[in-house]
Amino acid sequence: MKPFELLEPRTLREAATLLHAAGDAARPVGGGVAIMLMLKMGVLQPETLVSLASVEDRYSTIALDDDGQLRIGALATLRAIERSGLVRDRIPVLAQALRRLSNVRVRNVATLGGHLAHADPHMDLPPVLIALGASVRVVGPAGERVMPLADLHAGYLETVLARGELIAEVTCPVQGSRRAAYLKCTTRAADDWPALGVAAVLEAEGEVVRSARLVVSAATDVPTRLSRAEALLRGVRIDDALLARVGEAAAAEVTPIGDEHGSAAYKRELLDVYVRRAVRAALAAR
Amino acid sequence: MGTTRTLRFTLNGEPVTTEAPSHWNVVELLQNRFNLYGARESCGQGLCGCCTVLVDGVAVSGCLSLAARVDGADVRTIEAPAATEDGLDDVQQAFIESGAFQCGYCTPGFVLMTRKLLDECPQPDDEDIRHYLSGNLCRCAAYPEIVAAVRLVAQRRATRG
Repeated sequence: MKPFELLEPRTLREAATLLHAAGDAARPVGGGVAIMLMLKMGVLQPETLVSLASVEDRYSTIALDDDGQLRIGALATLRAIERSGLVRDRIPVLAQALRRLSNVRVRNVATLGGHLAHADPHMDLPPVLIALGASVRVVGPAGERVMPLADLHAGYLETVLARGELIAEVTCPVQGSRRAAYLKCTTRAADDWPALGVAAVLEAEGEVVRSARLVVSAATDVPTRLSRAEALLRGVRIDDALLARVGEAAAAEVTPIGDEHGSAAYKRELLDVYVRRAVRAALAAR
Repeated sequence: MGTTRTLRFTLNGEPVTTEAPSHWNVVELLQNRFNLYGARESCGQGLCGCCTVLVDGVAVSGCLSLAARVDGADVRTIEAPAATEDGLDDVQQAFIESGAFQCGYCTPGFVLMTRKLLDECPQPDDEDIRHYLSGNLCRCAAYPEIVAAVRLVAQRRATRG
């Protein structure tokens, strides 16, 4: 690994300022999982790493705000989120998705902010959080802004974050009466990167769906809403014939990208099958 | 240009201070500065668990952790002796009795992860064990014996009360 300078600012704003000043020569490091892999491969060769490990504790906390939304600091580890009583109680689908994300040691150090900012489409939480309607608060050298998480990812390993901007916090509406599921297909080891992920969040009364949000990941270069499939689910009773049309619509409305986990054609088939399963799983969930 | 970092931490119960290049990971730090080879880099990607180290009681992949992570922390490696006559704890004893390894390369990581598993879940079933240890690979494929060893420890601790 190429040597670099390591800076350890005490505030997130200071980190943003350092990153802004250094530009492309510097990268932020949170838990350090994804970036360590990229440094080892030589994909990234920064002169400076700006560690976020010493910034204010409030960016690692998980709390319920006055509007009934869950606020999760960007530096909260995936394991802390998985084990949080608040998360298990208010957004159970998130805790369920985390249980099958990589392994315990990775979840012990990987942070939510890094998980989102890395913008690898194989990440598990973006589709779940987008389907739930989460937003991100971003801090930069000059101030901050809030955006829907759905707007964060711009392409494969690309975000809309400007130079010096860092994710500070994720705000996610609690599940409430919504029923949700996240299913993924791993084609090698069980905790391998997925070939495909599908999150389904439904408002339903019995078997009748009032509204649905479906998001696919890993098969597309950014997490993608399945609007046509969602529209077919609105206001109708779920049965196999309907789900067949929903799966077909989902598979037709995106252009899957093949990778070492599966070809584009295979992923299209997976999407058809997994959308149907995810809707069923969400209906069966609380 | 690289920089170095002064690190003060507790290593297997002893306070230590050292200097290390900022780009070193925890495995490089332990091997090059302290001659500890129990944590070893194998897959280099956090998937195999051979580089497992406990930092403030949290299991991390040493090969993916920058050395700076240990500054001010309590670090425990497989080399930390247990407070028994032979220095082995009940997890290590059960691994030996169950034949839960062949070449032994992965064993330090499995032992450390098993200790954490049993801290968090004292009576795990097979699914709990396989799930918690899914990030540890044994290329001799001693998995059935490893699961048996974990169950043996849990059973003995329950009997002992």
